[in-house]
Order: sequence, then structure tokens, then C-alpha cells
Amino acid sequence: MRRWRIPAGVWIGGAFLALLAFPLVQRSQYYQHVMVMTMMAAVLASSWNILGGYTGYTSLGHAAFFGLGGYLVALAHNYLGWHPFISTWFLAIVVMAVALLLGWIALRTHGSAFVVVTIAMVFIFRIVALNLGDITNGARGLTQPRPGWGGVQWSPEIIKIPFHYIVLALLCLTVLVSWRIRLSKFGLGLVAIREDEGKAEAVGIDTMVYKVLAFGISAYFVAVAGGIYSYFFTYIDPQFIFNIFTSVTMVLIALLGGRGTLWGPVLGAFIMEPLGDWLVGTFGGTQIHLAVFGAILLGVMLFMPQGILPSLSEIRIRLTRRRGPGLSSG
Amino acid sequence: MTRMLQVENITKSFGGIRAVDGCSMAVERGSITGLIGPNGSGKTTLFNLITGFHQPDAGQIRFDDRPIHGLVPSRICHRGIGRTFQITRLFWKMTVLENMIVPVRQVGWRTLFSRGVKEHEEQRALELLALVGLVDYRDEEARKLSFGQQKLLEFAAVLMADPDLILLDEPAGGVNPVMIEKTMEFVEDLNRQGKTFLVVEHNMRLVMDLCQHVIVLDHGQKIGEGEPAVIQNDPIVLEAYLGSTNHAGA
Repeated sequence: MRRWRIPAGVWIGGAFLALLAFPLVQRSQYYQHVMVMTMMAAVLASSWNILGGYTGYTSLGHAAFFGLGGYLVALAHNYLGWHPFISTWFLAIVVMAVALLLGWIALRTHGSAFVVVTIAMVFIFRIVALNLGDITNGARGLTQPRPGWGGVQWSPEIIKIPFHYIVLALLCLTVLVSWRIRLSKFGLGLVAIREDEGKAEAVGIDTMVYKVLAFGISAYFVAVAGGIYSYFFTYIDPQFIFNIFTSVTMVLIALLGGRGTLWGPVLGAFIMEPLGDWLVGTFGGTQIHLAVFGAILLGVMLFMPQGILPSLSEIRIRLTRRRGPGLSSG
Repeated sequence: MTRMLQVENITKSFGGIRAVDGCSMAVERGSITGLIGPNGSGKTTLFNLITGFHQPDAGQIRFDDRPIHGLVPSRICHRGIGRTFQITRLFWKMTVLENMIVPVRQVGWRTLFSRGVKEHEEQRALELLALVGLVDYRDEEARKLSFGQQKLLEFAAVLMADPDLILLDEPAGGVNPVMIEKTMEFVEDLNRQGKTFLVVEHNMRLVMDLCQHVIVLDHGQKIGEGEPAVIQNDPIVLEAYLGSTNHAGA
């Protein structure tokens, strides 16, 4: 069979170039904003996927690392004058260290107990942020100076563009690391843990080290994103940034696109985030977007339980198998 | 012969039940040792204690003269003990080849992020797969294999970690006679190459043919041991399996 197929490299290269050109072509502030948020969602879901997809541990606690990254960056900016675009990469290492410690505790539990423990993490961080008023300014939240560089504030017309490129860079890095992990010994071990953790132990995989490391790495990119996010909005408060809905969104996006696949979380983000924005834009401040997300999740679970990408490749295999014999005999 | 594995006075209770009750036994280096006993006599629990899946309530386990009780299973595997499971456990959605590669021992942080399947590892995996007749299935998901093939794959994968002592939990359970023959040949070959085996098995013909030494458990205790021919006629062993001799004689 001679079916014309576009090589993966062309798809990826094309998408990358399109994203590179996007803010230069699309001058609308609104669409530029949606694109930044979409790529950020792709970062969050891809990073979550390293733990939740490869390793099979469903964490609802990643909003804690998102928020911690946001707070550290905002504090370093306000008190020390560190520019968020630079500091976020380093401060996320601090968040990663915190995640390694928390993971070392939380990953002793499995299944739904792990989910509950990670939910508790988000609430603990929120309570701490609310009550450390001297540092975090409590419920009033933290405000940062308007974005700029070297004492010059970016004008409103171009303000989204620097954010577009830094989030794009972060997205590329996240996907690259996720890809390297998937092809490595480490990734093979993570998938083995997902399949049968006891068996993985029996054949010599130090499951605790693997899991904790996956937890830490997957917290890192979420924390970097949190730092950029706090600067993007120049305002954060505990209710807003330590929000369980942020965690849930990561899970939904990964499930939609294909949990455990490399590109599934990215694809999921590029469907969910613009759709969410459109719904909110069209129907206003109602809760209808939540109902639609619920319906989408239901549909995915019913008709393609593995997510879009795995289901598509399954359909392709089925089609080629069905056509295969007919063509070779004819 | 030297003692490779030594179990000393080991006890393990689950709730009120003493699954293993002050059991002591040893496995000689280079031997194929059988572990038999009626259902519920503690054989699998003993396996789980040796491989670190259970922690003993009391007693010691020594391997190559170093204590191994209290270690996590992966550490014990690194010390050189491999095992199969009574009910075959594989990474079902991973390919046959990947199932072979996962047990390859990794040393150091740098290898952790190196390529998942290396050429020399693949080479060795394919050699072993050829020995068990699974080389054509290398890219199939493990769950698609037949029951007997899955047992062979589990066995072959254990060898990828290059253990010195291999614990087989019912290698012939539910496997057809041809496959049993194949498994026995495989074990004997490896034994000649220097591997030591501890085998739990209910198929008596296999135990008698294969093992040089047999240990009998009942109610979590060792009730006898010796050469297969001797064990076969030991009245205490017969009693454990068939009930009291009075009844059997009547």
C-alpha cells in the first residue's frame, strides 16, 4: 500500500514554526493571551504526564508546585529585584527539592490514597500562604511591578510577546525532557512501575528512587510555569494560585490527549484551553464551561478511554490491517 | 559444597496464622533444590521472605554469608537472587523485548538517562528469547502470549539480571507436558553453567527428576529433607501429604 504520510518531523517542525511566527502574524491581544495560556497548559500537562502518565501515579497536588513557584518568583522579584524570566528557572529548583521531599513521603501510598494525599498538599500550601502574612501578604495577595526589562516597561501592545516566547521555550524544553525520559532506562523503569510495581521491584528496579525522581522532575516544569504565570498576571493570591482546579485541568488535558504519550498532553491543551476561553467568552461568567468539560471527559472515557492520540493510532492500525490483505491479493 | 542461602529460625505471622514457624533451611551452591509441601505449608511465604516481599517477624536470612532480611526486593535482586511468581507477573502492555530489558541491572545515575534499549542488551535478550522460542514475538505485547509462553518469558527475563540463585515458584503449573520438558532442560542447562535453583513445585515427577535435594515443609516448618528417592518414602512426609498413616493403612 502506498499511502502518503507526512513524517513526524515535518509536523513538529511546522507546528514549531507556526508558534514562532504566531505573535508576529496575529496582532490581537486576546488571541496572543489565549496562546500563552494554551502553551502554559501544555507545559503543565506534559510535566504532569511524566509522573501521572509514565509512572501511573495520579497527582492532584501539582497546583502546590505551581503556586510555590509563583510565590517564590514574586517574592524574589519584589524583595530582591530578581527578574522573573531568569529567576524562575533557578527558583524552580528549590520547588523541585521540596517536591522530592514531599514525594518521598507521599509516594509510600498508592492509588486513591495517593490522590488524597496530594490534594492535601495543595491545601497545606494554601493555608501556609494565607497565614504567613508578613511574607506573603496573606489573603490580599502579592502584586508585582508591570512587566518590563532593564527599567523599561513593555508597552501594552507588545506585552504578550515576551511571554509568548519564554513559554514557547519552556514548552520545547518540557517536551524534550519528556521525550528523553521516555526513551531512557529511567523511562522504561517508570512504565514498568505503572504496569506492575511489585514485579518491577522484584527484577531490581529501585521503585522508590524512580518514583521520587519522576515526582521531582514533573514538579520542576510546573514550578517554572508558575513563576512565569505570576509575572504574566502581576498579581497572585493563595486562593487563586493554590487551586485544585489547576491540578484537575492538568489531569483532564492529559486524559483527553492521551495519558502516557509524548504529544497527547500538548494536543489536549490545544483543544481544551482555547475551547475553555471561547466558552467563557461566549457565555460569560457562567459555569457552563465546567459542564462542557465534564461532557468532554465523559465522551472521552466512553469512546476513547486511552485518549485521542492512542485511539487515532489504533484506528490507523486497524485500517491498514483491513486494507492490507485486499491490496496484496489484488 | 558451600551454603549459598541460609534461612535461620524464620517466623512470619499474618494475623493469627503462623505461615512460617521457626523454619530453618539451606541451599547449597550449585544445587537444584526442591521445596515441596501441601497447600498452605508456607512455601510461597518463604519465597516472599527470601526475596524481601515480606519482612520476617523473627529469624535471619543470609545470602553469601551476608544478611539480606530487611532489604527491599530490588536490593536483594541486586545481590543476585532472581525469582518468578506462582501466578506469572509480566509488564503486560510492554513488548516481549522490553520485558527482557527492564531487569538489566543499572549502575550509576548516568546510565539512568542513557538509551533505554542498548544494542548489546538487545543482543543478549534475543539470544535468550531464541532459547525459549520467543524470538519471533519480540515486538508483541506480553499479554498476547499464551500462558506457557508467558511463564517462559518470565523465566528468561529473570536471567537478564544474571542472578546466581533463581527461585522458581511452580514453573510447571498449568503448563503442557512439552513445555515442562523444555523448562526442565533449560534449568538443567543453566545449572551446569553454575546457576543455583530453589524450586517450588507440585509436579512430583518434575521434582524427583530435576532436584538433587528436596526440602519438605508443613505448617510452616521443615519436616524433612534429603535426596528425592529417600524423601519419597519418608513416613513423615507421606503423612503430611496423605493424612495419618493409620488412616492410609486402614
